[in-house]
Amino acid sequence: MNAEMLPSTLFSAAPHWKWLIIWYFFIGGLAGGTFFLAALLDLVGDVRDRALARLGYLIAFPAVLVCGLLLIVDLGRPSRFWHMLIQSNTGWPMFKAYSPMSLGAWALLVFGFFAFLAFLAALGDRGRAGGRWRIRLRPPGALGALVAVGGGIGGLFLSGYTGLLLAATNRPIWSDTTLLGVSFLISAASTSSALLIVLGRRLGGVYALRRLARFEVIVMVLELIALVALVVSLGPLARAWLSVWGVLLVVGVAGLGILVPLVLHWRGGWRAAVAGGVLVLVGGFLFRVVIVLSSEHLGRTI
Amino acid sequence: MAEPMGFFTDTSICIGCKACEVACKEWNQLPAANGGVTTLSGDSYDNTRQLDGLHWRHVRFVEQFAEDRKDGRWLLMSDVCKHCVRAGCMEVCPTGAIIRTEFDTVVIQSDTCNGCRDCIAACPFGVIGMNPVSDTAQKCTLCYDRLKVGLEPACAKACPTDSIQFGTIRELKERAAARVTQLDRQGVKGAYLYGADDRMLGGLNSFFLLMDRPEVYGLPANPQMPSRTLRAGALWTTLTAVVVGLAGVFSFRQRGHREPDEDRP
Amino acid sequence: MGSNMAENHPVAFRWPMKAKMNGAKIIHVDPRFTRTSAMADIHAHIRAGSDIAFLGGLVNFVLDHPRWNSEPFFRTWLLEYSNAPFIVSSDFQDAEDRDGVFSGLLEYKGGVTEWPLNGFVGSYDGKSWQYAGTATGATGEPAAQTAKSGETGPSNRPHDAGAAADRGTGDPRRAAPPPGPPFDALVRSLKKPPPRRDPTLQDPRCVFQIVKRHFARYTPEMVERVTGCPKDLFLKVAETLLENSGPDRTSAFVYAVAWTQHTNGPQIIGCAALLQILLGNMGRPGAGIMALRGHASIQGSTDIPTLYHSIHGYLGHPSVLKRHRTLAEYLASETVATGYYANTPKFMVSYLKSMWGDAATKDNGFGYGWHPRILGDHSHLPMFVAMDERRVKGMLLIGQNPATSINARLERRAMGKLEWLVVKDNWVHESATFWKNAPEVKSGAVRPQDIKTEVFFFPSAQVAEEEGSFTNTQRMLQWHFKAAEPPGDCRGDLWFTYQLGKRLKALYASSTAARDEGFQKLLFDYAPAAESERAKGGPDPHRILKEINGFLTADPGQHLKGFGELKDDGSTTCASWIYCGVFPAPDQNLAARKQPDPPGQEGGQLQWGWAWPANRRIMYNRASADLQGRPWSERKKWVWWDGSTWTGKDTPDFAITRSPSAKADPNGIGMDALSGTEPFIMKTDGRGWLFVPTGLVDGPLPTHYEPAESPVKNPLYKQQSSPVLKYWKHEGNSLAGTGDPAFPHVITTYRLTEHYLAGAMSRWNPWLTELQPELFVEISPELAAAQGIRNLDFVRITSPRASVRAKALVTRRLRPFVIDGKTVHQVGMPWHWGYEGVVTGDVVNELTALVADPNVSIHEGKSFVCRVEKA
Ligand SMILES: Nc1nc2c(c(=O)[nH]1)N[C@H]1C(S)=C(S)[C@@H](COP(=O)(O)OP(=O)(O)OC[C@H]3O[C@@H](n4cnc5c(=O)[nH]c(N)nc54)[C@H](O)[C@@H]3O)O[C@H]1N2
Ligand SMILES: Nc1nc2c(c(=O)[nH]1)N[C@H]1C(S)=C(S)[C@@H](COP(=O)(O)OP(=O)(O)OC[C@H]3O[C@@H](n4cnc5c(=O)[nH]c(N)nc54)[C@H](O)[C@@H]3O)O[C@H]1N2
Ligand code: SF4
Ligand code: SF4
Ligand code: SF4
Ligand code: SF4
Ligand code: SF4
Ligand SMILES: [Mo]
Repeated sequence: MNAEMLPSTLFSAAPHWKWLIIWYFFIGGLAGGTFFLAALLDLVGDVRDRALARLGYLIAFPAVLVCGLLLIVDLGRPSRFWHMLIQSNTGWPMFKAYSPMSLGAWALLVFGFFAFLAFLAALGDRGRAGGRWRIRLRPPGALGALVAVGGGIGGLFLSGYTGLLLAATNRPIWSDTTLLGVSFLISAASTSSALLIVLGRRLGGVYALRRLARFEVIVMVLELIALVALVVSLGPLARAWLSVWGVLLVVGVAGLGILVPLVLHWRGGWRAAVAGGVLVLVGGFLFRVVIVLSSEHLGRTI
Repeated sequence: MAEPMGFFTDTSICIGCKACEVACKEWNQLPAANGGVTTLSGDSYDNTRQLDGLHWRHVRFVEQFAEDRKDGRWLLMSDVCKHCVRAGCMEVCPTGAIIRTEFDTVVIQSDTCNGCRDCIAACPFGVIGMNPVSDTAQKCTLCYDRLKVGLEPACAKACPTDSIQFGTIRELKERAAARVTQLDRQGVKGAYLYGADDRMLGGLNSFFLLMDRPEVYGLPANPQMPSRTLRAGALWTTLTAVVVGLAGVFSFRQRGHREPDEDRP
Repeated sequence: MGSNMAENHPVAFRWPMKAKMNGAKIIHVDPRFTRTSAMADIHAHIRAGSDIAFLGGLVNFVLDHPRWNSEPFFRTWLLEYSNAPFIVSSDFQDAEDRDGVFSGLLEYKGGVTEWPLNGFVGSYDGKSWQYAGTATGATGEPAAQTAKSGETGPSNRPHDAGAAADRGTGDPRRAAPPPGPPFDALVRSLKKPPPRRDPTLQDPRCVFQIVKRHFARYTPEMVERVTGCPKDLFLKVAETLLENSGPDRTSAFVYAVAWTQHTNGPQIIGCAALLQILLGNMGRPGAGIMALRGHASIQGSTDIPTLYHSIHGYLGHPSVLKRHRTLAEYLASETVATGYYANTPKFMVSYLKSMWGDAATKDNGFGYGWHPRILGDHSHLPMFVAMDERRVKGMLLIGQNPATSINARLERRAMGKLEWLVVKDNWVHESATFWKNAPEVKSGAVRPQDIKTEVFFFPSAQVAEEEGSFTNTQRMLQWHFKAAEPPGDCRGDLWFTYQLGKRLKALYASSTAARDEGFQKLLFDYAPAAESERAKGGPDPHRILKEINGFLTADPGQHLKGFGELKDDGSTTCASWIYCGVFPAPDQNLAARKQPDPPGQEGGQLQWGWAWPANRRIMYNRASADLQGRPWSERKKWVWWDGSTWTGKDTPDFAITRSPSAKADPNGIGMDALSGTEPFIMKTDGRGWLFVPTGLVDGPLPTHYEPAESPVKNPLYKQQSSPVLKYWKHEGNSLAGTGDPAFPHVITTYRLTEHYLAGAMSRWNPWLTELQPELFVEISPELAAAQGIRNLDFVRITSPRASVRAKALVTRRLRPFVIDGKTVHQVGMPWHWGYEGVVTGDVVNELTALVADPNVSIHEGKSFVCRVEKA
């Protein structure tokens, strides 16, 4: 590339956020998304949705645990993970509202807390002995509503902030657009509902699943729009995707991950729905792979 | 706070001797990459390639020769952390490991850093890297330990031609401006200061005299704060959250409405 | 020109950069575009080995230039400060008239049978080169002024074979010189009639006319033909140089081994001297010719010499090949009657006193007979040939790494023929392990068990672990203190040498052999006064410095304050006359001073260290003043006559009270023979020599010769390369013929800032190896394209001696040359790699040949031929 047209972000260095982080983004999206959907089903759906919502809670907490683990393992000094939350030299809380990573660490903690509560409730729903009080941690009921709303907002945050985290850098692609949060959030929603569809099929909650599928279609359409907007917003840097990454984005993410599932949904049928869900999950994962790795390989060009 | 201190690096008199690179390594006891057993880069005389956790100074070699050699120059430049007045690395650091010292320099406290690497991505100049010995992010400290006892930074001390000048920002800016005028008077075209005024990230406390466009030296023409995307990004994302929420409510809010228990969605 | 100063003397390059910031222009003449070129205002590229053509072109340009011909400043310099008006012997015939050969060329028949290794391919009788009426053979040459090979002209060279001890009977026609001390009569007996001169400079035999004719063909066009530097670029250099010379401005030349590592190195430097005298750029601030020295204290090691052919202070080494049997004979052949070197007897006698103390008496010629004498050329290259011929049994290798040195395979083979080898070094380098790790051993061509050399390794301390002095490029002594104890069993070189000497003396104490008498009598007492220090076994460096500085023989507590105090009767003891004055009192070690001039009043920095001679920072600085002793200009004011004495910012380099109006005494000796306007006091005539009547063995005027190996015919003369260069015809040392198509490419070897010489001091340091990890060859894109080589490809470089492999660094900093209408490709290789250390690589010096300059025996590592192809 001619030096004259080099965007300024090309001069930063790659943080080597690779597979652990990609998995974190993916699973974090699922954790936040499934909780959010579960909470929403709990709050605005009816009793026929409870089984599916319960599934959401059951997924969300383990997923958030895995997230924490992935993040800690990815640190250069994992034993110092708590430095994100507590100032190591003063013992005071460490919080920076303008640092997405700082916010994210707290969000993970807070969301993890709600997810834990909801997880307890979901476990309790099985009706095991001593489980009754736990039910109250789920809507209906004020406490349950609190957990659902708090966790739901936390879940949305978790699914979207990762995009902002990438954007609040000086890396090419990541920080050349303000739409990463949008895409990440939508993708979290679509992959989460896909996951619920795939796993929920066995729960036999057809009623809820149908409505999830409707949600899925809306979100996938949004996702497609967001994706196009994302590419457009990158301006000249979108040329970086004139590469294997672009192929992956078009074929993998947009094609396999959105268009094909849309077609499958339109065609209908459970098998198709499940297949579509799997594809959405794959597409969502690929999306993060493309976003993260295509930038990792850029920069320090001279 | 003491007066802001920093570097004025005059690339027009850098002889590319790399004494600064080595002096930095020696003072800070930074090991060589791969025990010193590396490969020839093939890019002029630059074999360390970049600033990172093991190379807090890096000397760049830019060969510019016309095919007929009628015109030719070899630009040499010693690069380092810019100690930005508005420092992107510091802005994002979630542990507070990155601090601003009493000399208005930016320092990563190695005992606090947990190696999340956000600062690496945040620095517009690609200055920071992981140090494989400490497993933390590291970069030039502007020899904080030396400054505290009144010593000049090791690299500046070692520089034989005073291409690296250390001093108070106020004085350095005067010197730099005088140097540009001097070069201009000597008929040297194209010399200018990079990062000397506060338009660039509030000012770089380590600024440069360059002979060509910043990109030629691997410097961004328009470095930005990482938070520049935050406001809009947060707004769009929140809006999206609302839309997704509404989509959810719209999809799920079907109380009382009976659906046939068909085996299809 | 002749150095890559920014890369190899980066710290000193601080000053050219300061000058540049003040508006000075830097010109770099180098085949490659280097980091020095990057800093230069003009980079002129010339083919390696063509410097004399370039410099000769400058001389011609100056001589033809209207400004030079009209400005009184230049006229005064020419008439009064140079030997331009002197008339040269009518026997002299210039190389211009004889196709590249001066009058007096003979077949070389010198040397002794015990040492047939002097290497000359021919030799000159320089008699015809002398001033008319003064030619009395080659005797009385100021040998100290050039580092000669150890032989004088052929007139007194023994031609018959015989026992070495009987050599030097010399010319039977010569009478025995008058004895001494005092040696005044001897000195006076050497007096020659003053040279005739023509103040109009019209006489065709005057130096000026000869020089003019000699360089007439060195036109800008010829410069382009020979060097490959475009005419316009050359003219730009020439104009800049002349413009910047005159009463108000000066230009300096800076060189290092790019000028010395040739078969005509001293002639290149001589050509620069000629030019600088023409331009009035000598003895003045910002002028002169600066020899950048190499190793730390390499200057010191030629002052207090490790050179084979001189003793302290550049006095010639007693030699079997010269008329040197007695002290008087030695003095007669080494002293000149006029100029400062008339004091040679004082220097020599004081030196002999430092060797043998009380045992050196007037009656035994101050022990002169005990002094060893050399047999011929014992410099590096012939010593290794001798080793290969098993003439040398053992070697003490202290701070050198010949396994990677010139024609490295040959040198390694030679080391393998030693009985014993002592390596004293900081690192176990290639020369310590050649018997097991050299490529020829690894490849199986040589088996370690066939090498009978017993190798001893002594770990050495570093400089910072010892106290002592450095003498660096500007002849300045600087004292350094011990910063740390050496680790483990490492010992300093002082300790080692002192202990070795003491032990050898004990071994020889009971010998009755006559030849050992001198060693038995040798003073070797440097024990420290303090018992605690003595227990450590090392010498007291101050006692050594004291011996070098000198003292009154009768009262050793009285140190000498300068060489003016030296006597030829044994009453003064002084090892090195040039260092006399550095230690003027037991509590005044002037080398340890560190007092800069106050800011704003910078002058000679006379309180910083101590520079020989006499703490003088600019030699011949009388020339910084005009005939009347006034500064040439306010801007270039340095030393001047204040009406009664010479004074100024520096120690004046003149008899301090000798007035500018003083007339030369036609019967005088020493300084009396020079007038008050003749600044070059070390010369017999007080003049800067444009034409060099004595002292050089390869001609009185610089003449372009091709290197010993070249792809092109000499465009200027039929004589291809120097007719008297040194070449050792020896197995594994063949040379390519001119234009040999098998070796079409010119190659030069050099250094990188990131590494140090053979590499032991840098390739063992990861901080440095990561900066330059691998051996490479710099190639122009044009040659790369022609040979199908891409950047970073492995390339094979083959010379008639060997073949090495390196990675290609394809760069436009190199370029092809058009020489005499033919494209000549030149490549370059840094030579720092070897088979030991953190990073390793092929030994570039396997490519080079044992071929050398005839004056000082320096190899031609800067220009030879090879073939470059993809590996
Ligand atoms: N970093 C570093 N510094 C050193 C040393 C080191 O090894 N490393 N070595 C020290 C020692 S011992 C010495 S002697 C000095 C040597 O100092 P220099 O003489 O500067 O050393 P080189 O690099 O051998 O050669 C200088 C230049 O000569 C050019 N050259 C080659 N052939 C010719 C020619 O025919 N004419 C002209 N005009 N130029 C030619 C080469 O391209 C090269 O750039 O450096 C000392 N300083
Ligand atoms: N082709 C080619 N060949 C060249 C040259 C060239 O330009 N081209 N340059 C030539 C020149 S100018 C030079 S000077 C020579 C240099 O050639 P060498 O002198 O053989 O090379 P160095 O590597 O300097 O060897 C010095 C050794 O001294 C050791 N040493 C350092 N300090 C001490 C100490 O205090 N005591 C002791 N005992 N040892 C110490 C170092 O570890 C090192 O091994 O090479 C020459 N060879
Ligand atoms: S240059 Fe980079 S590392 Fe240095 S202070 Fe600025 S943002 Fe931080
Ligand atoms: S790597 Fe260390 S210094 Fe950098 S942002 Fe993370 S905690 Fe802060
Ligand atoms: S200021 Fe200190 S830490 Fe920074 S580059 Fe220079 S030597 Fe290294
Ligand atoms: S020490 Fe100075 S001259 Fe040498 S490379 Fe560094 S900045 Fe340039
Ligand atoms: S290596 Fe030592 S002697 Fe050579 S330039 Fe550097 S400081 Fe000077
Ligand atoms: Mo040297």
